[in-house]
Amino acid sequence: MVVSVRSWVANEGGKHLVLVLWLGANTWLFLRTFLLYSTGQQYYYLYKMLGLGLCISRASAAVLNLNCSVVLLPMCRSLLTYVRGTHTVSSRKTRRLLDKSKTFHVACGVAICIFSVVHVSAHLVNVVNFSVSYSDDFPALNVARYRGEVRHTLPGVTGVLLVLILFLMFTASSYCIRVSNYEIFWYTHNLFIVFYIILMAAHPPGCLRANQSSPEQQGEELEQSEDEERRCREEAHFQPHCPQTWLWVSGPLCLYCAERFYRYIRSSDPVTIVTVIRHPCNVIELRMLKRDFKARPGQYIVLNCPGVSSFENHPFTLTTCPTENKETFGIHLRVVGDWTERFTELLLPEQGIASEILPMVQQRRYPNNGWVGFRLRRLYFVWVCRELKSFYWFAELLCALHHKLWQENRPDYLNLRLYVSQTDKLQSMSEEKYRPLSSRLLVGRPRWKLLFDEIGKTNKHNRVGVFCCGPKSISRTLHRLCNSARYSGTTFEFNKESFS
Amino acid sequence: MGKIEWAMWANEQALASGLILLTGGIVGVAGQFRGWQFAAYGVAAGVFVCLLEYPRGKRSKGTSVERTGQYCFTVCVKSFGPLTRNYYVRAFLHAALCVPGGFMLATVLGCVCLGISSLIYLGAAIHGEQWMPILPQKEQTRKPVGESIKNPPQNPPPRPPAELRRKRVEDLEGAAYVNPIAVTAND
Repeated sequence: MVVSVRSWVANEGGKHLVLVLWLGANTWLFLRTFLLYSTGQQYYYLYKMLGLGLCISRASAAVLNLNCSVVLLPMCRSLLTYVRGTHTVSSRKTRRLLDKSKTFHVACGVAICIFSVVHVSAHLVNVVNFSVSYSDDFPALNVARYRGEVRHTLPGVTGVLLVLILFLMFTASSYCIRVSNYEIFWYTHNLFIVFYIILMAAHPPGCLRANQSSPEQQGEELEQSEDEERRCREEAHFQPHCPQTWLWVSGPLCLYCAERFYRYIRSSDPVTIVTVIRHPCNVIELRMLKRDFKARPGQYIVLNCPGVSSFENHPFTLTTCPTENKETFGIHLRVVGDWTERFTELLLPEQGIASEILPMVQQRRYPNNGWVGFRLRRLYFVWVCRELKSFYWFAELLCALHHKLWQENRPDYLNLRLYVSQTDKLQSMSEEKYRPLSSRLLVGRPRWKLLFDEIGKTNKHNRVGVFCCGPKSISRTLHRLCNSARYSGTTFEFNKESFS
Repeated sequence: MGKIEWAMWANEQALASGLILLTGGIVGVAGQFRGWQFAAYGVAAGVFVCLLEYPRGKRSKGTSVERTGQYCFTVCVKSFGPLTRNYYVRAFLHAALCVPGGFMLATVLGCVCLGISSLIYLGAAIHGEQWMPILPQKEQTRKPVGESIKNPPQNPPPRPPAELRRKRVEDLEGAAYVNPIAVTAND
């Protein structure tokens, strides 16, 4: 499929720019440290003993410092939400970039793994070279105590521990494990606390020493090319290397700890469940109340129910946000795994009866100020379900919205397309009040290309935002279609939401 | 915690340990370290473990995601029957393979990682899990088409009488008729 430059830049440009900047920073740091150790005067003897292994190990250590510090930043979700919500700082491009924070975290994690392998391999070579280059002539310059020694040092042992922790974290983070057994991923990933403690406290080498030249000595060495007989007057000796890791890592680590503390404080306020409604196809709607809770459409909340499990937190997109008239907020949750099953058992102990725990009269109020101030000019809502009964989850909301728009003489604002993908039995919505839905019902999966063609033709030279929430195959198809070149002047911006 | 499939995690770990063992072995052989024979063993053991662990097993519940190009490996591994299906065998095999790696610095990491994955395989075996190959599904037989399609209707559909059908150009109002299907404003 031919790629349209304008659409590609709109969808992929920001991401690739950040990638190039990050790769550039890593490369610059690697090369700078490499050159420092290979040409620096103060590392002359060390370089002679260890050769390339020294430069590669220290350069990869510098890159690891950078990535270990930066990897924590995309996980400060409250901070990112705050930055994303301010109008002065962020434009839509920045907001869409911030949405991809998890991808950046994964990229840094992969870089940490790759450079750990490089670092460990280079240090293996160093250990051998230290023992091979044991010299009787310069006893002060030996790290090994005798020829052929493999010495156990604190950085060596802590390095092995760090690699083991990294191994456990990395092997549990693959996509299929996250999708099938999220708990394994979650509990192993929390080992990062141990990783950082060891990294900051015990790993940086106190004993990997470099000889520090005195200033006069440096000056003399520069003149060595002229006068070969001039040598360093001072005896060479080793001095401890100043560890730098804590400089890099402590800032983001403190920020992340502050973020977790803030989340904990915010979550200590209890939440009251006001209504529980059972919908067909195993879906429960939950309405809740919490003091000082503000949310905007599109945000998600994370639920923790100590009665089910103290450590599990599950994200759910908000389906009802609190407004000035109504304070309750709501989610729809589908009963699929063991946590949701036990949660539902706690809420609705009797089978088959939809009960309301606290009856409360609720009125739906829409914004009264009309539609003028909004940037959105038209909304195409495409919903694909396996069974017809799933549409009942939001049937009333959709019909009410449809009627309101018709009354305000904006019939083309909302375009509903409902698709039932299971074509075995003939299904229909027979209720009269759901007429707007049943007449917009189509059987079979949507043909995305035709849909995009139609939307492109009717909205020429406009920007269309595509928001996808669904399985990977659909989101891949939509992403590809958004980048392709078939639509006259229309740019499709792709956004997707996924929690795994 | 619910039903966790430990074998899937053990498989990822074993594959990664095989790669670590292979890398450590290559470094050991290339640098001609003391005891490089263990490094050479590490290379061979690493390759073997990677080949054995590359094909993912089928999940007991839910959809299984294959690794790219794993079909030929699946066929090879499946041909060993109960030796590869049983996770006890795999656990002990990995435990045995990892021991020689511990004698040399370059391969010690691979040894420890393979040991950990062997322990998790043991846990999976105790939970009663088994390795099932992911094979391509056979074509689902189409539902047989109903018999009535073979007998098309003999008569044409009913029509109004001939006087009503004839178009009366001079009488436009008489040519109009009520549409049998109601047209609503919502369509």
